[in-house]
Amino acid sequence: MCGIAGVVFKDKKLHPVGDALTKMLDALQHRGPDSAGFAIYGGLGLEENEYLLNIEVKEKPGLLEAVKSTVNTVTPIKSEEIIPSVENYIIYRCKIALKSFGALKPLIMEIDKIEDVMVLNGAHSFEMIKDVGLVKDIAARYDTSSKMGTHGIGHTRFSTESIVDRYHAHPFQSYIIPDITVVHNGQITNYWKIRDPLERKGHIFETNNDTECIVHYMADKLSEGYKLEEALEQSVKDMDGPFSYIVGTPNGVGIAKDQLGLRPGVMAENDDVFAIASEEVSLREVMDTHNVEQIAPGETRAYTI
Amino acid sequence: MKEFEIDVNHKTPREVNRAIKEAATEYDRVTVKNPNAMHYLAAGLTEPVELVINGSAGYFVGTMIHGAKIHITENAGWFPADNMTDGEVIVDGSAGDGVGQGIYGGTVVVRKDVGSRTGEIMKNGTIIVGGSSGFMSGLFMMGGRIVVLGDISEDAGESIIRGVIYVLGNIKSLGKNAKVKKVNEEDKKELKELLTKYEFDLEDEKYDDFKKIVPRSKRPFYGKKSEEG
Repeated sequence: MCGIAGVVFKDKKLHPVGDALTKMLDALQHRGPDSAGFAIYGGLGLEENEYLLNIEVKEKPGLLEAVKSTVNTVTPIKSEEIIPSVENYIIYRCKIALKSFGALKPLIMEIDKIEDVMVLNGAHSFEMIKDVGLVKDIAARYDTSSKMGTHGIGHTRFSTESIVDRYHAHPFQSYIIPDITVVHNGQITNYWKIRDPLERKGHIFETNNDTECIVHYMADKLSEGYKLEEALEQSVKDMDGPFSYIVGTPNGVGIAKDQLGLRPGVMAENDDVFAIASEEVSLREVMDTHNVEQIAPGETRAYTI
Repeated sequence: MKEFEIDVNHKTPREVNRAIKEAATEYDRVTVKNPNAMHYLAAGLTEPVELVINGSAGYFVGTMIHGAKIHITENAGWFPADNMTDGEVIVDGSAGDGVGQGIYGGTVVVRKDVGSRTGEIMKNGTIIVGGSSGFMSGLFMMGGRIVVLGDISEDAGESIIRGVIYVLGNIKSLGKNAKVKKVNEEDKKELKELLTKYEFDLEDEKYDDFKKIVPRSKRPFYGKKSEEG
């Protein structure tokens, strides 16, 4: 099934987005127990040329040193942190500086060549946390309650089409333009029809996962100058299958739902908060409102700050 | 009146439903406190009890009930009153997709808007929507009546075979085998009795504005001879 959620604090100030999303996703835990993830925007406070890398590394002698050496060959590591995970893996998190955003994906591909190492993401304006297991366990491991931000999206996964691992946990990210993320509930049945033209344009696909296809599609549209609302509206026309997905950008979040309305989606807002999710029980974790709106088949909603 | 209260906090739907069914045999009214949009509340309840869900309910509230009267004071998720055979489900707020899916009897009232596929495959009974109803309302409807006081969205009455959909607001588009007729005096009398009973106060002249969506053919897919033949 999968559960999806997104929240925006309208005043553009920092709020405990990590805590809010944890509660929203925990309320949706029944929709998927495999893995969970968060993209928390606005709280990293990095310099303009700085990026945060989250790298999955198997606990094996010499492997972490090989990762550090590969990174240092391109750019010096400015700070680092090790987060314990499960199944004999750690998450190595480091801060680096690059001359341009265009240098980020080549560095990630270089690190990915190391066996038993996978870069989960590289980001400038958002913090990605994703791992296998239950929402509350992941939240405790990564201390999500301390993560501040302006807005964010999250996911709890019931895997149907691909394997359960950290990389296939949502959110997915695109490097076509900076910091676009997607969480998704459903399937894209015209996957290859969407993927083929994007690959011809040079966009690199790492997996056959349909969520990765959505995030590249959205990033491509945004890179062409579409506003978030326009890109979402076009995506509903172009994508087939049962789906609802939430897109995160550095300025906001939005949701799109398939034209037959086969996956759920609700939203609510007040003067302070805009929230979207699979079910009302999730919205109630961040606001007390009687007015919950159904996202209609083929409808999109977005809020940008 | 004998009353009982169940606090849902830290309980599973199975535990809550067991408690509701036990209480329903002894009490006239049972109140569910802190429902927090829990799914499957009151599933399979067959006692003629008055059940108040004090807050929002999740998916499939009141599925397969027979005879109970359920009042939800806030919203409901997808498929409230699914396959109900008799009774009443009243939602003071809004509801999700598939309101009254497959009902055989009884009445569902949602005072605000509902999602898509309202009354899909319903066989009998009544659904009243105080606000608007979404895409493919009355999908494969086989009987009963749906009353929408707001607007109805695309493909209303898609593949309807029997039954009727009354709409006070706008009809965005009709589905296959659906057509619109004017309401007659009998329709207006029936609507007034029904809506007054459920405390929707419409001015008399408003009843002239209802449109009626009915099937074009009772056998649109399986042949052209008589329906029962």
